[in-house]
Amino acid sequence: MDLLNQLETILESDPLIDEVGLIHPSQFITLSKECSESSNSSSDGAFRPANTKFWNRDHKLGISTEILLPVCKAAKSAFMDAMKQYKTHSDLSVNKREDKNMVYGHSSSCQSFESEVMKHSRALLLLSCDLGTAWNARKLVVSKKQQLPMFTDELHLSALVLSYSHKSEQAWSHRRWVIKMICEKYSNLQQIIAKESELVEKIAERSKMNYRAWNHRCWLVSYMTREQMLYELKKSRDWAGLHVADNSCFHYRRRLMLGISENKQGDDPSYDVENYQVVKEELDLNEALIKRYIGREALWLHRRFLSLCLIRHLMTTTHGISCHSTSMDNEINIFLDKELRLLDSCSTIQDTEFEDFKGQAIYSTMYFLWLIKQIPEFRKIELQEKLKAGNLKNILHKTCPERSFLWDVLEL
Amino acid sequence: MAELAVDKHVKYILAVEKNKDSFESVVMDHLRMNGAYWGLTALDLLGKLDSVNVDEVISWILKCQHESGGFSGNIGHDPHILYTLSAVQVLALFNKLDVLDIDKVATYITGLQNEDGSFSGDMWGEVDTRFSYIAICCLSILCCLDKINVEKAVSYILSCKNLDGGFGCTPGGESHAGQIFCCVGALALTGSLHYVDKDLLGWWLCERQVKSGGLNGRPEKLPDVCYSWWVLSSLIMIDRVHWIDKEKLVKFILDCQDVENGGISDRPDDAVDVYHTYFGVAGLSLLNYPGLKAIDPAYALPVDVVNRIFFSG
Repeated sequence: MDLLNQLETILESDPLIDEVGLIHPSQFITLSKECSESSNSSSDGAFRPANTKFWNRDHKLGISTEILLPVCKAAKSAFMDAMKQYKTHSDLSVNKREDKNMVYGHSSSCQSFESEVMKHSRALLLLSCDLGTAWNARKLVVSKKQQLPMFTDELHLSALVLSYSHKSEQAWSHRRWVIKMICEKYSNLQQIIAKESELVEKIAERSKMNYRAWNHRCWLVSYMTREQMLYELKKSRDWAGLHVADNSCFHYRRRLMLGISENKQGDDPSYDVENYQVVKEELDLNEALIKRYIGREALWLHRRFLSLCLIRHLMTTTHGISCHSTSMDNEINIFLDKELRLLDSCSTIQDTEFEDFKGQAIYSTMYFLWLIKQIPEFRKIELQEKLKAGNLKNILHKTCPERSFLWDVLEL
Repeated sequence: MAELAVDKHVKYILAVEKNKDSFESVVMDHLRMNGAYWGLTALDLLGKLDSVNVDEVISWILKCQHESGGFSGNIGHDPHILYTLSAVQVLALFNKLDVLDIDKVATYITGLQNEDGSFSGDMWGEVDTRFSYIAICCLSILCCLDKINVEKAVSYILSCKNLDGGFGCTPGGESHAGQIFCCVGALALTGSLHYVDKDLLGWWLCERQVKSGGLNGRPEKLPDVCYSWWVLSSLIMIDRVHWIDKEKLVKFILDCQDVENGGISDRPDDAVDVYHTYFGVAGLSLLNYPGLKAIDPAYALPVDVVNRIFFSG
């Protein structure tokens, strides 16, 4: 049996394969040893241990690096041929259908071309995951059939590809297309969102700061209900605390918070209080993380967003009783005083030996400057800020002279 | 400081095309059109475009065009807006835009604009601000920007702006230097840069410069030569390029060269590829490195090519 055929047979015989990886030829021996030790069953083991090209067990598939190039080439040419035949055939049947006198008994042969396209494109995509033409071919076939199990299969294949190629743009994009198709016909969107969110988290765990993965999760937000957004925010909280350098996760949380604050179903006044609470809690979490993990850029950028949200919230809502400018100013002042104290504690470099402390000083200074830039009202508050501003200028020159031009940008 | 190994890079780029039997070249085969754009633009910036056979390239490009008017990444593949721009850009490099049925290409691109002003990448509907840039850049090169709804296209791009001043793929998407280039480029080409808070965006962009002098594409990421293009061109378009240390960046890019065999990598001592070679050279061109042709930050084509399109009647 040729290599491509072997691969396709494995894929067909074990539809539950959920992980693919490349294996160096030398690893096959170790793997089969482990197998014989762990299982004393005398199962036939069609592809092990004699097989040193593919390894398939417990729904995991390993492909030898040695055969990568020939299988990939074979899969590609098999796919291209199948696609050509499929296209010619479907053009043909369209023409014949137009001819009313013809009885078209083409469905069986058409189906066989279809299944060839599906079979070869699957093998091909496992080896060359960004081949758009192969993904497109699958979209074409699946959209003609409009069957839920087929759509589900596509989600499975995409997840399989993502199991080893976490950043494959095409695989992520294919998912979105499939999900939209499913939702057009069947309305199990809420279930899908929960599952997708879990998938992203699983992949994000193995591939840090994965833009494509998190972007997918952000895309889901626009389909979420308020409750779901609140739930997701709660659910990703611990993950964020364990991955403080992952800006993408914090961006996801920002996206959720914006979604929550823009969500005005029914104009419920209790939402206002809840929205405020959400930002407030995130600020507290962020401060705790900033103090625990010194010098993390993503944390400080997140704080820029949170503080701006809080201040905007204080300025625009009738939070509490009637909000007169004095009480509003007061709340903002209290908040800013607190932030200034945070700046004070973070901008003193406690230990010049460690880069992290220097980072903390730079990020905290830049954070405060940024806040000044983004809040014009800030300038109106004349209190003691100017005094402190004098100090801020010194801190800026001391901690990051290369960015001191930003002072002039602020026109203070 | 090391110098740019011009001859080595030219040799490397010309050799990449000939090496077709590695696994890498097989899996990259479907985006050969992008590869052609990267390699050929780099050659032109290095002043060596005449070392390729023009007719061969042009006839191959035309074989990649589909009935719809769009181009594919290689013969036998599906068309996509990504490859359509690369095809048009390469034809512009060779001053061969006249081989195109311009209406046909324009119709393909126009057909990809959605109701909200955004653009899909192909008939399957994935939306991304990258495709907005591509559509606008491509139609602008073909002098028929009026065929799309520019106002809506601009307002969609602006809807992808974040509180940090950056832009993402879709509304609410995380800011990313590559997406920022696309959005700023599209706004520049449509005369809409006044919608951008230049200080705020410049702030985010200049914070991409890390200690080594290199630029990253997002916070907490390692520097990468390709961002010398995405970040730098954006800073130039919004007139804030003086906010980064240019000398340090030049040094970072030069440190990423393979001075023996040619080519530029993402970071010092990594493996080179044609993508990073192009972005390294293009970045140096933006930094006015001596001996290189100037590149236009919005069109991503040599300035003389852009001038030829618009001023040679």
